[in-house]
Amino acid sequence: MDLTVNGDLHSLQVDRERSLLSVLRSELDLTGTKYGCGEGNCGACTVLIDGEPAQSCITPVSAAAGRSVTTVEGLAAGDELNPVQQAFIAHSAFQCGYCTPGFIISATALLARNSHPSEAEVRSGLNGNICRCGAYVRIIRAVRSAATAMASPASAREPAE
Amino acid sequence: MSATTSAQKYTLTVTGPPRWTLPGEPPEVGGDPAVLLTIDRSGQVSVYSGKVEYGQGIRHGFALTVADELSISPADVDVVLADTARVPWDRGTTGSASMRTVGVQLRRAAATARRVLIDLAADRWGVKAADVELVDGAARAGSPALTLDFAALLDGLSLQRDIPDDIGPGTELAPAEDATRARRVDALEKVTGRARYSQDFVVPGMLHGKVIRPPTYGAKLVDIDTARAERVPGFVALVRDGDFAGVVAETEHAATYSLESVRVRWEESRDDASDWSLPSLLQEHAGEAVVLQESGSLDEGMGEADGVLDGTYFAPYISNAQMEPSAAVASWEDGKLSVWCGNRGPFSERAQLAGALGISEGDVHVMTLAVGGSFGTKTPTVSLEAARLARHAGRPVKVAYTRSEEFIWSTVRPAALIEIKSGFTSGGKITAWDYRAFHAGENAFRGRRGAMTPYDVPHTRVAVAGSVSPLQHGSYRSLGGAVNHFARETHMDRMARRLEMDPAEFRLRNLSHPRYRRVLEAAMDRFGWSTRKRRDGVGFGLAVGFDAGSYVAECVEVEVRDQQVQVRRVTAAFDCGAIVNPDGVRNQVEGSIVMGIGSALWEAVEFDGGRVLTTGFNRYRVPRVMDTPEIEVVLIEDDSNPATGAGEPGIVPIAAAVANAVADATGLVIEQLPIEPQLR
Ligand code: FES
Ligand code: FES
Repeated sequence: MDLTVNGDLHSLQVDRERSLLSVLRSELDLTGTKYGCGEGNCGACTVLIDGEPAQSCITPVSAAAGRSVTTVEGLAAGDELNPVQQAFIAHSAFQCGYCTPGFIISATALLARNSHPSEAEVRSGLNGNICRCGAYVRIIRAVRSAATAMASPASAREPAE
Repeated sequence: MSATTSAQKYTLTVTGPPRWTLPGEPPEVGGDPAVLLTIDRSGQVSVYSGKVEYGQGIRHGFALTVADELSISPADVDVVLADTARVPWDRGTTGSASMRTVGVQLRRAAATARRVLIDLAADRWGVKAADVELVDGAARAGSPALTLDFAALLDGLSLQRDIPDDIGPGTELAPAEDATRARRVDALEKVTGRARYSQDFVVPGMLHGKVIRPPTYGAKLVDIDTARAERVPGFVALVRDGDFAGVVAETEHAATYSLESVRVRWEESRDDASDWSLPSLLQEHAGEAVVLQESGSLDEGMGEADGVLDGTYFAPYISNAQMEPSAAVASWEDGKLSVWCGNRGPFSERAQLAGALGISEGDVHVMTLAVGGSFGTKTPTVSLEAARLARHAGRPVKVAYTRSEEFIWSTVRPAALIEIKSGFTSGGKITAWDYRAFHAGENAFRGRRGAMTPYDVPHTRVAVAGSVSPLQHGSYRSLGGAVNHFARETHMDRMARRLEMDPAEFRLRNLSHPRYRRVLEAAMDRFGWSTRKRRDGVGFGLAVGFDAGSYVAECVEVEVRDQQVQVRRVTAAFDCGAIVNPDGVRNQVEGSIVMGIGSALWEAVEFDGGRVLTTGFNRYRVPRVMDTPEIEVVLIEDDSNPATGAGEPGIVPIAAAVANAVADATGLVIEQLPIEPQLR
């Protein structure tokens, strides 16, 4: 089956029922998307499918075939991190970092839907993701500041190293 | 690392014991002098430690402290952690002590290097050492400035230095609160998904292993039928070794199918323990109590009291539930084992693996990858399982736990039952304090942390006993400390309520320790404790604590509606002595508060008859974004005290502060965790 991930087209011979998460991690070596529970409860595996957030652990790979999948590895444009990634760095919005890709993807999707979310909207938009290290205060702050940065594109962007 | 390879590769090698011990303190057993810092031909500075980065920011902390001393950027310090072939022996990353032990020692190593570099430059230029400074990775003197970078200064040399005794802590720290300093050196790989955790790690030719799990703890394996599993594409082998059995397959997917396809007969053993019978079990099977604190006479103290209060407090088992389930890759070559894992004590892991596999420690090489949260768990079981499967399979094997395996087969925070009887005068002075704790687990030492009372009570007895543990227990954030604090600080509020006295006022009347008082007053002040306004369904609570050398007080506002508790606001005042990285400390305290709210309100591992019932996040509620209060952390930065722990202390007061606030809002007496089910 054909799977487009981060703009690259892959032709894969895999069991259609296999989870998208398993295919991304094992077949495509895209390990930025994390396994946290495999049951749709934690958001560590969140990816974008045609721009919509989806929990890849409970998405059969066949459901993503022919559509465009974006993982955390595909967010930066070359060396330029996306505004959410930049904001996560600027606000140290993580500790162990294991939940971070899932949060960044969910937040990116949230800001694409709603460019000026209130704090309450940020909270409910990210409630499907768990950060056991408890970095939530910073995550909220980072997402709101990313919204501000996206609203004023002139604001200083931080290049990746 | 042998002297010859160091000599070839490095221009400067600084050696010393791996951790700082105060003058007069005995050096740590096994902490033999080792290489702590190197500078190679290109000028690259590397430091070496057996500590593990599991999110507490230790890599960043080490990089900052070394960078400060050498006037280079933290990003230019290569911090080599937890690789048993490259770093000095270490006892394990626990107790929030890394910065004040290893951090100080690495800083001393850097100061030693600094001295060497400055002396070299002074000699070369014929100036006084005092006139040479290090700036941006180079030595500089005079004006117009003479400048040489580290590589040039050390060119052609191969020096080795022991840290001299006269280099101690107390060197000026570069200014803190600078945003670029707070930005963690490992940030980029975390936000791009490039960081490799043990769940992500692969080696060429690797197989995937799944352990065949018994249905209940203690069940005995009778037989296995693999006929169906053998037909799964990618199935490689069944491994059986006594009661240990597993399948290995070419892919994780195939391993999972193989596991589902084996038919296993078990002989289950009967185990009547369950989460609801646990409190009585703990008491009935208690071991001998260790008396930690004793003064005066309890009889006399109770006699002097106008009021006496009895309380029996209980905290259930809870799961660390770190986001990354345990995983490890094991590979054998010529009888030597290499393991890549996420354990936080690579050297203890090495010892345990060697012991369990009957090989020498020298034949085990443990490397720790990025760790997706730990809070104490990630036992070596997973590495051992991978090693056993790999040994039989003759190829490298990865074992990656599923979430339910993690819930069932990794360790839990020990449950505890705590009885307190106290006497107090009508003027609000505590006269007697009788504290008896029963912590699950044979070893009473686990429950000692935080058991002693900091209050000025003339007649005191604090005794802690270990007891049975139906579940496999392990470490947790401030193991024991969080539970002991819950009991003590909840009991304090109950006494205050009996006296109709403000709980803060009641504490201050019985608390002369200046650092405790300082954090309590700072938290109250910033929170606006004295001007708090009660409204319907809203309550306020506070608690103080001490853990890992640090002092903390937390004030909490909660709202109780429809039998649900929302923690609205938390103000913490935190005193961990001198601070290298304030933002890192804040991050840890915030995380501790959030984690502690889960244990206060919802978390409990349910089990019955040797079977764990909470096997997923749908049955085990942890805090989420919408549960997160507004959190303010006031740091008491006091350089007159040495740096103490930051990763754990923030959790110790929170459960009691929340319980006290819920009691304030509802009038309920709360003696047990978790709280929310008690509102129904
Ligand atoms: S791994 Fe998919 S939601 Fe947890
Ligand atoms: S940073 Fe560790 S789980 Fe979020």
